[in-house]
Parts: sequence; C-alpha cells; structure tokens
Amino acid sequence: MPELPEPPGDAPRVIDQGSIWILVASPSIWAAHFLISYWVAAVYCAKAPNAAPLMEPRWIAIGLGVFCCAVIAWLAWIAVKRYGGVFLIFEEITESSERGRDKFIGHVSLLLCVLSAVAIVFNIIPGLVLGEC
Amino acid sequence: MTDEIDLSQLPPAEPYDKARDEAQRARLLDVWKKPTGWRGVSAVNNSHVGKWYLLTSFAFFVFAGILALLIRVQLAVPDNPLFSQSLYNQLFTLHGTAMMFLFAVPIFEAVAIIILPEILGARDLPFPRLSAFGFWCFVIGGVFVCGSIFFGVAPDGGWFMYTPLSSDPAYSGLGTDIWLLGLSFIEVSSIAAAVELIVGVLKSRPPGMRLNLVPLYCWYVLVVAGMILFAFPPLIAGDLLLEMERAFGWAFFDPDRGGDPLLWQHLFWIFGHPEVYIIFLPSIALIATMLPTFAGRPMVGHSWIVLSAVSVAFLSFGLWVHHMFTTGLPEISLAFFSAASEAVAVPTGIQIFCFIATMLVAKVRPSVPMLFAGGALAIFVFGGLTGVMVALVPFDWQAHDSYFVVAHLHYTLIGGMLFPLFAGIHYWYPFVTKRKMNDRAGKWSFWLMFGGFNVAFLPMHWTGIMGMPRRVWTYQLSDGWGLLNMVSTIGSFVFAFGFLVLAINVLWPRGKHAAAPRNIWNAGTMEWSEEQEGTPWGVRSIPYVHTRYPLWEQPELVGEMDRGEWFLPDAEEGERELIVTDILDARPLFVQRVGGPSFLTLGAAFCLGAVFILATFHLWTWTLFFGAGFVAFVLRWLWTGTARIPEKTTKYVGRGITLPTYAQGNKSVGWWAVFITMTGDMTAFTGLVFSYFFFWTALPDFLPSLADVPAFGPLMGGLALMLVGWGMTIAAREALRKDNGTISMILLVGSVVIKTAGIAAWCYAAWAVGLDPTVHSFDAMVWMLILWTGLHLILDAVMHGYVIARIWKHCCTPIFRADVINLTLYGHFVAITVIVTFALLALFPLMMGVL
Amino acid sequence: MEHLFWVLLIGAAVIWCIVIGAAVYAQKASVPDREQQARHFIVWGGAVFPTVVVGALLVWGLVILKDITPNEGDRTIRVDGERWWWRVVYDTDDGPVPTANEIRIPLGETALFKLTADDVIHSFWVPSLGGKMDMIPGRETQLALTPQKLGNWGGLCAEYCGGAHALMRFDTVVMEPDEFDAWLAAQAQPATVDPEDEGYQVFTEEGCGSCHTIRGTDSIGPVGPDLTHFASRERLGAGIYKMTPDNVSDWITDLDNMKPDIDMPSYPHINGARLEALVSFLMSLE
Repeated sequence: MPELPEPPGDAPRVIDQGSIWILVASPSIWAAHFLISYWVAAVYCAKAPNAAPLMEPRWIAIGLGVFCCAVIAWLAWIAVKRYGGVFLIFEEITESSERGRDKFIGHVSLLLCVLSAVAIVFNIIPGLVLGEC
Repeated sequence: MTDEIDLSQLPPAEPYDKARDEAQRARLLDVWKKPTGWRGVSAVNNSHVGKWYLLTSFAFFVFAGILALLIRVQLAVPDNPLFSQSLYNQLFTLHGTAMMFLFAVPIFEAVAIIILPEILGARDLPFPRLSAFGFWCFVIGGVFVCGSIFFGVAPDGGWFMYTPLSSDPAYSGLGTDIWLLGLSFIEVSSIAAAVELIVGVLKSRPPGMRLNLVPLYCWYVLVVAGMILFAFPPLIAGDLLLEMERAFGWAFFDPDRGGDPLLWQHLFWIFGHPEVYIIFLPSIALIATMLPTFAGRPMVGHSWIVLSAVSVAFLSFGLWVHHMFTTGLPEISLAFFSAASEAVAVPTGIQIFCFIATMLVAKVRPSVPMLFAGGALAIFVFGGLTGVMVALVPFDWQAHDSYFVVAHLHYTLIGGMLFPLFAGIHYWYPFVTKRKMNDRAGKWSFWLMFGGFNVAFLPMHWTGIMGMPRRVWTYQLSDGWGLLNMVSTIGSFVFAFGFLVLAINVLWPRGKHAAAPRNIWNAGTMEWSEEQEGTPWGVRSIPYVHTRYPLWEQPELVGEMDRGEWFLPDAEEGERELIVTDILDARPLFVQRVGGPSFLTLGAAFCLGAVFILATFHLWTWTLFFGAGFVAFVLRWLWTGTARIPEKTTKYVGRGITLPTYAQGNKSVGWWAVFITMTGDMTAFTGLVFSYFFFWTALPDFLPSLADVPAFGPLMGGLALMLVGWGMTIAAREALRKDNGTISMILLVGSVVIKTAGIAAWCYAAWAVGLDPTVHSFDAMVWMLILWTGLHLILDAVMHGYVIARIWKHCCTPIFRADVINLTLYGHFVAITVIVTFALLALFPLMMGVL
Repeated sequence: MEHLFWVLLIGAAVIWCIVIGAAVYAQKASVPDREQQARHFIVWGGAVFPTVVVGALLVWGLVILKDITPNEGDRTIRVDGERWWWRVVYDTDDGPVPTANEIRIPLGETALFKLTADDVIHSFWVPSLGGKMDMIPGRETQLALTPQKLGNWGGLCAEYCGGAHALMRFDTVVMEPDEFDAWLAAQAQPATVDPEDEGYQVFTEEGCGSCHTIRGTDSIGPVGPDLTHFASRERLGAGIYKMTPDNVSDWITDLDNMKPDIDMPSYPHINGARLEALVSFLMSLE
C-alpha cells in the first residue's frame, strides 16, 4: 500500500531534541508551588485549624518551596549544559544553526529558572512572617 | 524519514524572466484577490479581515469612550440630576465591558491578524476562515451587547457581574443575560483567534526562522494567545454556572441552597487578572518592534525580553485574589497572592529596562510613534508603581474599590496599552494604507491626550484617598470631592479631543497623496518587505530567513523575493498556499492549502449569534433551529475546506525543494488546532473541578452522606462503557490505516452507541438518588459535570458521524486519514474528562466518606 | 499604616523619577560602544533593584497586616448590609440593642465589627478610620477599628450593590466613652409612645408597623430599619438627608425622588394634617 510522502527532515521533535519543556518547566514549578500553598492554606484554615503545628500551611509552603528550588537548580544545571556549559548572562544568540537555537533556549530557560526561584522565595515569605489564618 | 534540507546550500534561482514573472503575478492575483462588490464580505484573507477587525474594535472604543464622557459629565458636579441611577449603572457597566471585551482584547487579535503573517513572511495565517468566523462572532456579539443600552436594558451589574446581584433574577434583569450570553459568544471568537495565532507562530514561520531568530512581536503573540487559552475558559465555565442559575435555578451562588457567591469572584478573576496582561503584553510587543527600528539597531537583551514575557504570563495567573483582598479570606491566603503580585514587578522591570538599555546604546530618531512610546513609558511606570502599592494588603484595604483604583487601572491600561497602540497606529499606518499620517496632527493629538489624560486621572488618586468609592452616580457637596471631579471631567474632554484629532488624522482621505516609500521607517522586520498596492498575496515569494532583522541583515532579500526567486512564487493549481514549517528550526514541512472567500463562515457566525441571542430571550425552539443551522454550516465548511485530498501528493516549491501537499497527525496544522482548542476546553473543565473543590473547602456539609451520593456501580459501569467506546474509536483509526474501511465505520458507530449507554448510566446514577440541581450545590455540581461530559459526547457523536460519512465518501482514506486521527485526538481529551469526572462523582465522596 | 502610605507615595515618586530619568539620560547620552554597560542596566535596574524593593515592601506590608487584624475588640457591633441601608446591632451584656444607619463608637476603644449581608454583596467602609471589608451573603467577615479622633467621619458602601449603591451611607460618630455609654443606654430603652397619639395612629393605619419596629409598641415589622430612636440619628435615608421635619415629610410622600428603587413605597396620599401628625410623631422618637 502506498504511504503518504514524508516531509523532509524529522519534525516535530519538540520534546526529545529541542527540550522546549525546560523553558516552561521552571515557571510551572512555581505555579504548582503557588497553587499547592494556596490550596493547603485554604483547606487547613477551613477544615483543620487545630491540626498539629507541623501540618501548618506555612511549614508545608516552606518545605515544598525548598524542594522546588532544588528541582529548579537541577533544571538550571540542565539548561547550562544545553547552553554549552558556559555561564554567560549576556549574549545575543543570533547564529542560524541548531546549536544557536539550543543555546538560545538554554539561555532563556536559565533566566526563567532564576526568576522562578525568586518568585518561589517570595511565596515563602508569607509563611515566615504570618503564623495563622 | 527523508533527508534533511540544508537551507543554506540551496541551488541558485533561475534567471529572471519578465514574462514568467508577469504570468506568475497574474495567477497569484487571481487566487488572492478580494471578491468585488457585496461579495467582499465573504473575504477571509488576513489583510481584509484584520482591517475590519481593527476598525470595528475602534468603533467599540469610540462607543465606550462616549459612555466614559457621559460618566464624567454626570460626576462633574455634586448632586447632579442629569442621569438617573439606573441609566448611570448601565453606563459604567457597559463602559468597562466594552473597553475590556470589545476593544482591548479584540484589538490585539486585529493587530496580530494584520501584521503577524507579514512579519513571518507568510501569505496568510493557517486558518483564514477561522479568523473570519471569529471576526463575525465578535461583531454580532458586540452589537448585541452594546445595542441593549438604546432599549434601556443594558447590563447594570458592573463589568465583573458579582453574584448574587447578577445571579438572582430578583436583583438583575435581562441585561445580565445579555451580558452573559453576548460575552460568552465573544469569548468564543477570542479563543478562535488564540488557536489561529498560536499555530501561526509555531508552524507558519518562514523557512529558516529558528526559535532564536523569532521576532519579539511573535514571542509576545505566542505568549498572549497561550494566556487567552488558559484565562478565558474558566470565565466561560463561570458564565455557564451563572446562566444555569439564572435560567433554570441551579444552586451555585445562593448561600441558602449551599452555594457561595465568592465562587464567581474566583472564576471571574482567574480570568480577570491575566486579562490585564493579555491586554498589556501585545502593546508592549508593538513598542518592542518599533523601538529597534527607530534606534537603528537590534534590541539589547532579546532573550531577557522573551524571559520577561514568558514569566509574566505565568505569574499573572497567581494574582487573581488581589482583587479579593477585602472578602475576608484567611490572611495567609491573601499573603500568597500579595507575594505573587509583587513578584510580577520584576519581569515588568526587566522589560522596561531592556528598552532603556537599547536607547542607551543608540540614538533614537525622534518621531511620532516614539513620542507616543515615551508617553506610554511615563504613564505606565506610574501605574505600575501604584500597582505595587495596591498589591500590599493593608494599603489595598484602604484603596480597594475607591477612585484610587480607578486611577491606577487607567494609568496601567492607557499607559500600557492605549498609548503603545496609538504609537503602532502611526507606525503601521503606511504599511496598511501605503500612505503616511500627518506628523503635526500626530504631535497635537499626543500632547492633547497626554495632558488631558493626566489632568483627568492624576487627581483621581486623591479623590480615592479622600474616600470616594467607585461606581457611584452621585455624591454630596459636603463630601468635598467636587473640585477634583470637575478637574477630572475637564481633563477627560481634552483627552477626547486629542483622540478626535487622531481619528481625523487616521480617517483623512489620502487616496490622491503620493504613496509612501516601501520601507518608510527603514525597519528590519519582514512586514515592510510587502510590495505596493494591488498585490494582495502579501509576499511575492516566501523567503528563507536566517537573521533576526532580515531587512537589515539580508539586504538582497527584498529584491529576490520580488523577482519570485524564493518559495511558492506561483499558484499554478489556483490554490491559496502556505508553507508549514517545524516548531524548532522552521524547516519546511509541507504545503498547506487554505480556504478562500466563503459565505460558510459568515453563515456559521450568524447562526451561532442567533443561538446566543435567542437563548437570552428563552426562545428555545428557535435556538435549537439555529443551532442545527450552525452545525450544518460548520460541517459544510469542514467538508469542503479541510483535509482535502490533493490532486498530487507532492509539489515543487522552488529552489530544488519538493514538499508534500497533505499532512496528518502531529505534522498537520489541523491536529495542532484540535490539540490547542482542547487544551482550552480542559481549562474550562478545570474551572468546574475547581468549583467542586471550592464548595468542598468552603462548605462544611457540601458532600452528603454516602447513601445520598450517586451509586458506585452505575458510575463505574458508565465509566467502563465510555472508555470502551474510546478504545473503539482508536481501533477504528487503526482499522482504517490497515485499509479496512468497513470495519472502521462499524467500530465508529459502535463507539457512539456504547458511549451513549455510558452517559445514560451516569444520568441514572444521579437520578436514582434523587439529585435535584435546584436544591443544593452538590446536586447542581454533579449534574453540571454530567452535563459537561454529555455535551462533549454529543459533539463526539456528531464528529463520529462526520468521519463515517468521510470514509463512506472516500474523503478519508487509508492514506489520507487526517479526519480520523483528529477525531481520536479529540477522543483522548474526552476520555480525560470522563476519568476526572468519575473521580469527582464516585471516588472522592467515597474517600471522604471512609475518612 | 499612615506611615506605610507616605513611604509608598514618596517612594513611588522617587522611583518614577529614577526610571524616567534613566530613559531621558539614555536618550541624551548615546554610547554605542558600551553595550556591556547597557546590559548592566538591565540586570541591576530591571531585575535586582525591583526584586529588592518589592521584596522589602512585601515583608513590611505583611508585618503591618499582622498587626492590624486583631480578632478581638473591646466591643462587638454587628452590621448587616441590606439594599440599601445598614442594620446595626450592639451586643451588650443586657442583650442586643438594634439601631440602623448610624454607628457610634467610643474614642480610643477597638470596635470589632461583625459584618454580614442579607441580599447581595456590600462593603463596609469608614474611609477616615481604616480599611474596608466586604459583607457577603452566607459568610461573616470582621473588621476592627480604633478611632483616635472625635467627630462624625461618615461611612459608605464600597462594593457596587446595584440600584441606589451611591445612596447607601451611614454616619460614624466617634464620642467620648462616657457620652457613648449614655447614648447606648438611651438606645437600649424602648420608645415612649402614647397609643392615642394622632401620628402613631397614622403610622399604624398606613401599615408602617408591618415593616418597621418601634420597640415598646405593637409595631414589630422586621423588614425595614428600626425606628425606636429614629429622630436621634443625624441623618435620614441611610446617611443621605439631614434629619429635619421637611425631609421626613418628603421622604414619606416623594420617595421615588428621594431614593429611587428602594423597597419602601411612596405614600403621596398622606397629606395635610395626617402628614404633619405623622412627621411630628416620628420626630418625637428621640
């Protein structure tokens, strides 16, 4: 049976080759941390205000935050590797090559990792300052 | 897998031949020209639809602006008897609604539809008929919502429509239904545009434009369209709940029946806050595109801007509760949202400092667009700083719902959105009309608007601090707010006058003026490569782009494109054709044939509009009639316009490259459109899931005892049946692939039957324990989830019928089987919906009951 | 709190000047060869500076938040938002004391307001005394205010509640504690009404008592504001009109103009001597 002619090259390759997932992974971790913190706090305040102190939302938010930062650090490490092992804050990556594209995504991912980590730290602050509902 | 094409090693173009060039141009013109006379309304090409979109959005802007002036007249003096409170309430509701839903979001879509394909060196977006459909939905819905004020039945519940004011028919009348249904309809058009733009940026780039070379404008469009996809659906879910309560008395927001008014606020602001950034980012994108042109050099910190756009998109979804700081939520919850609201200042700061850094290393040519951009910066930074203030809970408790917030939001929106947009109007006017606007009038309009704006809105900060609340139609002399309000009113009229100057400048007939030079600002982005009038095809040939600013860094490019030396210089088969490329490196994949002028989209939009309008008046028979008409139009549109089997499987596109003319699976744009649309659909479903857990969190007795929840047996049986049906659809796809059309069709029929049995089992389970959606929120939520699944299965059945007919008629064959692949993709998403719904109906109550 | 306001205001002004100054400087001083310097601009000005500033503000704001939300007060006052007026109940040791549309609180004491709403969402706000808090049907929210100055500070509904939202106000009178105690004791007393009073006759004939309560009489309607000490209030119609006989008279006969859309009907047919009697009866309810 005849097959459909394949397009040249091996598209789409978004997950395996391009690693675009790193780009959205770190802000997604922030989003997950944020939503879980919010949800834990909401459920705790509504359902179990007298539970054990370690179950308090603040400790969950802080513990989870530390864990998320660690995961982000690991992501950043992958990004740096993909970026060519060179840690540069600035570079206009304009070369037209797969290498250039890789470096660019790695660079943006790295910056996003840093920003997401900062945003998670911001999210931990409420737990440190406020103790109750 | 075939060999990769190395775009940098292409054979040279054939030598120029004038006769060939003219013949090709004639054929292109024939294919791409706009229908003449009244048939012009059937046009679908991005340049026509985009222009209509733009003008219509501005018409709504003028309408909403006039409402604003009326508001200012009413508030100019204390105890003003000019308008009644009822009319005033309609005025401000409609002002906010029209500005947000009918101007700010559609104008982004309008501008993107006009310039995105051109910046990408493409002839059109991949789904031109979808753009046209979205546009007509927008027009019909917008006219319906705005027109209501002339009959005195405009919505009057505020643009945020808080329940129970909006959910209880005793407190709000027809206007609320008009708002709900009219806007749901417009949200459909926004999501259509989002799908179109995401696929546009990902798959319609010129060959060679790798991700690191994508212009900043396209990054912003991608980000914003993605945000629309995650922000609008929760509101659609909210609209659905609200309308079910209004029309049929389902208990979602009524505290006496286990509902909660705050649920609406959550669903509304999960949409509402990202909305602010959905409005703001596209306009910043315009500045990011214009600034390098006037600086004469690339933007400094390209990847930093991409970073900031992406992170703002994420962070903006963590701000919604800052509109609810005064609702008495636990402090710790408020604090999380306060933190995210402060964090979002960081990427915004990066964005602005990238602009300043670019200005630092270049001499920016003074021009009217840059004047507006500078004004935008001054206003927006101020609005951003007051935003940092109101993000602090203690400050917000004072400022919330006062005129301070009115001032803040107008500073951010007018500085962050309107002024950049006006800059863009001056900048791209020569691109759209091939004429230049008058500079002196431009400067006048800028200074009038800039001055008028600040005179109008700066005092409002103080009015708010003094205690003037929002949305009041009158105040007393003794309040002492009179002078400030008078100043604001004067400023607003100066602002309006400035806009009038701008409007005259735009609409001034310039047909006889000399045409503006082709790349009048000496820009580096592709849209300025477009030829002069009478060339509706966009680009003469689709170029190979290997730089960020092709017109600067590939100086030969425009000449080569004009001479037809690049891809698809011809239209031998009389088809509108685009090149679809891959996401990472923009390698050419295949030739996509897109639809030309059509009345089908117009008919579909008209019928869908009629459905929403008739439902407002509860004319159910007619609603069903037009609903059927809508389905018929859409099916006809799909049948004739999508997944057509080409007359030849490959096509020579020039420069030694031959590409397929048909694609299916995740290579095809149709698959991506289904995937993206269903992502939005899942987001709406997530809104319902959120509602379920919200009720569970907020109400101590949301879950009834185990005896009163739907029985596990029928639910489990229904789940099994529906999953078997899903498996049968997948089996049908495989059967067709193995050249077994008959078995495939039988499996598809069986799939529909068995899924129908499955949903019937669920209905039985809910009915058997006597769940009544008008009695309690749990009952309403269970029925809502079943209804949601059921609606998806109805659509699923229609699509199955369609695919069966396609196989029957040999439009979907063992080789060309995009239809059945897309059908199974839809099926996967429905399966997720079914499984999650089962977990909520059966597992969660069981789990909680055991605990 | 006031501290925070001024710091924010001045800080915002300073930062605005810095950013705009940077932009102006960038435009004037063009340094094409110093791209590296421009990039430091992005890192320090665009990323680090905002992070530090908003981070510090966040901590400060949260600390203040922690301080201004006490859950206990010297006195509890329940306020229920209705379309478009305020039902006010003072909880005292001798039981609840109902009144409406006027709040009196003693100087220097913390009043804890327990806020509810009956129909739609309202928001309780005394701009001069502190923040606002929404009143949500089905929920109870609370707000603590500690007035530091004597006077009438006015208050209003800050959340749009439809129709006459703009005319939903109240008086907030801050009094010396001993004056306040006397006032509260007076409010707790039933009204002294002579059942033969001509005005009271009109009041009952017209059915006013089916909506309004005058404690100590047969009128115990629960729908509208409590009128037991009606004339002791500074204003009429939920903080809108001065409490004068003329205004009360207009209120009864021309309500559609005085406050459109409210539930109470207009009584244009009450006139002449009957109206005069009714008004003077109402004005006697001190």
